[in-house]
Amino acid sequence: MTQHPQQQKKTLWWTPREVPAGHRLHGSLGALELSLGHDTDEWLLDCAPVGEDDIQPRASLKVEKGLPETIGERFVHAGKSDQVHLSAMLADRPVVIRPRQPVFLLSQQTVTLYLSTPIWLKIQVGEPAVLLKEFPAQPLSDTWFGPSTREGELCYAGRTHARHNPSELPRRPHRAITPLTILNKASTPLPLEKFSLPVPMLALYGDVDGMLWTQAVTLTREGQTDLASVQIDSRPPAYGKGLIRLAPPRQEPGRSGLVRAFSLLFGT
Amino acid sequence: MIQELVATLHLEMLLSLIRAAILLGAGVLIASLAGRLSMRSFRQRLSPQMLQLLKRIVFYGIFGLFLAAALSELGFSIAVIMGAAGVLTVAIGFASQTTASNLISGLFLIGEHSFEIGDVIKVGDTIGEVLSIDALSVKLRTFDNLFVRIPNESLIKSEVTTLTRFPIRRLDLKLGVAYKEDINHVRDVLLAVADANILCLDEPAPLFIFTGFGDSALEIQFSVWAKRENFLALRNGVTADIKAAFDAAGIEIPFPHLSIYTGEVTKPFPVRIADSKAENSNDD
Repeated sequence: MTQHPQQQKKTLWWTPREVPAGHRLHGSLGALELSLGHDTDEWLLDCAPVGEDDIQPRASLKVEKGLPETIGERFVHAGKSDQVHLSAMLADRPVVIRPRQPVFLLSQQTVTLYLSTPIWLKIQVGEPAVLLKEFPAQPLSDTWFGPSTREGELCYAGRTHARHNPSELPRRPHRAITPLTILNKASTPLPLEKFSLPVPMLALYGDVDGMLWTQAVTLTREGQTDLASVQIDSRPPAYGKGLIRLAPPRQEPGRSGLVRAFSLLFGT
Repeated sequence: MIQELVATLHLEMLLSLIRAAILLGAGVLIASLAGRLSMRSFRQRLSPQMLQLLKRIVFYGIFGLFLAAALSELGFSIAVIMGAAGVLTVAIGFASQTTASNLISGLFLIGEHSFEIGDVIKVGDTIGEVLSIDALSVKLRTFDNLFVRIPNESLIKSEVTTLTRFPIRRLDLKLGVAYKEDINHVRDVLLAVADANILCLDEPAPLFIFTGFGDSALEIQFSVWAKRENFLALRNGVTADIKAAFDAAGIEIPFPHLSIYTGEVTKPFPVRIADSKAENSNDD
């Protein structure tokens, strides 16, 4: 893990900024249009979703004079500090990924898919930082993942193109990319209709270009037994330049990784 | 001499009474302290229902011991009291069958774990949050903020639905569309509505069932799943979404139709076009 050079800190959206009274932090962050104003004794927040076609590849947040035109929420404070710290976190529940078209992994084959999941935006103000709000940068639909309606867990639903070439990945500042390697050691093809990505157990990293990455995850379907294992790489991802760790995992993964029934991971 | 003896006896009795009263007072104090302490120590590990039960057992157990000690102090023999209590219990049991039945039903209700404090249950037409499961009755708070007491006996005998048992719930919508509509198109529109609503679960997938040819409409059941906490929001949201989507797609939700048929062999109804001017003049 390397630290950012001083000059790059200014360009990345997650670096803390000074927003003096009478000013606002305004701009777009992926699927979100954000405006955070600093009034004399309160912070004024306005967020609005951006249409799929209007999502910009880079975050464009600037400090400018004036307060938000419309006010969604007001946060009263008594602090003197002007500092605003936007930070990113991963989802608080696993994300069930469904490729847009069914994908099959043949026997004894390995594939690495690049899956992106929306981040949760955390707004903190003042020094020491006080939490203003934490919310998803793009709302996700709920889904149930389990063998029956009685057993299982609530997850978020995510759709993916299941790309396996990193150069094809679109640049989206509000989504973090997880490299997922799947090993099929069984003798039958593995249908990748849906699988549960343990996002709360992953740490989040940002690179100098403003792209977000998580650690790599390896899913192995064992040959003889009806079990599958999930291994989370303890090292930072091998993608992106000048990675910096932005957020720790919400839940600590076990050392030996997770071993679950195959049906619990792949929902088949 | 006799007067002195009587005075001593009175003093003895008075002292016994005071000792018994002190024992009872201390009993209440210690039992209630022990009850509260046990609740505090097990708060993390036990459910609210079990906590309340534990508190009562601790309270009545300790208080019972102090009561027995107080009675013994007053000169009552515990063995005799227990014997008398047994006979009394049978007598009271016969006299108050309903109360006894409620008491036993209460024990079964707690043992069965059908619902706990904080659950939302439906009994008959009453839906409410369980406030307490007591020896004789279950207390509910309905959503229009009324306090309802339901005897345990009637709960044991009747159907009780626990609405908050599982984390997800299904909302069944009964819809009707006009006979001219294409069922597959209606199905696609409904599935698109469910897909666009983020409260609607992706899995289990929404269910589309064509239930039959109704009097005035093609009858459809459309079922969507939601997180339990979002059930009401989905119920309001998805119906409005469906109406808007049907309007946008030009799908008609028909009113009841009535066709009057006079039969093949009968003559058609005679229709006469009335002269409105003439009728108006007659009205004058």
